[in-house]
Amino acid sequence: MISKSFPGNFQSLAPISDFIVTQAKDAGFSPGDVYAIQTAVDEACANIIDHAYGGEDIGDIIIRVKEIQNGIQIILIDDGEPFDPDEIPEPDITSPLEIRKERGLGIFFMRQLMDKVTFDFSKTKGNSLTLVKYRGG
Amino acid sequence: MEFSITEYKHCDLIEISGRIDSYTSPAIEEVLKALMADGHYKMVIDLKNVTYLSSSGMLTLVNAQKQCKRHNQGEILLAHVSDQVLASLGLAGFNQLFEIHDDVVTAVGKF
Repeated sequence: MISKSFPGNFQSLAPISDFIVTQAKDAGFSPGDVYAIQTAVDEACANIIDHAYGGEDIGDIIIRVKEIQNGIQIILIDDGEPFDPDEIPEPDITSPLEIRKERGLGIFFMRQLMDKVTFDFSKTKGNSLTLVKYRGG
Repeated sequence: MEFSITEYKHCDLIEISGRIDSYTSPAIEEVLKALMADGHYKMVIDLKNVTYLSSSGMLTLVNAQKQCKRHNQGEILLAHVSDQVLASLGLAGFNQLFEIHDDVVTAVGKF
């Protein structure tokens, strides 16, 4: 398992993506899947900053990456407010441009692009969001 | 992220390179707002050198598209959209909101 900590601000998103892309490539994912994993993690981290911390530079984001059988597991840990993605309704991506409401798009991407998305909250360990992607999944 | 703007007779070409994410999309939004404030509502955005487009970047483009389309024949066209960016746009349903061209010349020629 590889673990890295990043400051919880939007400037961290590029180095986080570099880290995740390297890990996903090393795990043998196709370019399309590498981009999908990068997107899911980027959206998750932006949500942590926006919603769990409620702003930039409030706390860190710890990212743990582990190769699992036929895939990759990425755990994002923060100590912000509990933020359960299941409580955010999915956006209606078929609605007309004029009335489109876009809240929840990041979570929608996570759910669409990864095979498993689970959220846990512990008062001592903080929030942890687990993303799993299987090769060819 | 870097960008450049070329003013043509009938539209503006905005070339963007690098990542468009929650960190960089506010700068793109400012550029597009400044163009619209100057009465420029016909634009081609060249994504040839864009390596990543997040949902916040997509929303920046969608909101600008909404503004442009409110004005006489205003519109944002996209050019050089990579397969991966196109797949993301498609997942969100945003591919239907933009005319997408393989090259800049064709896109600029549409205006």
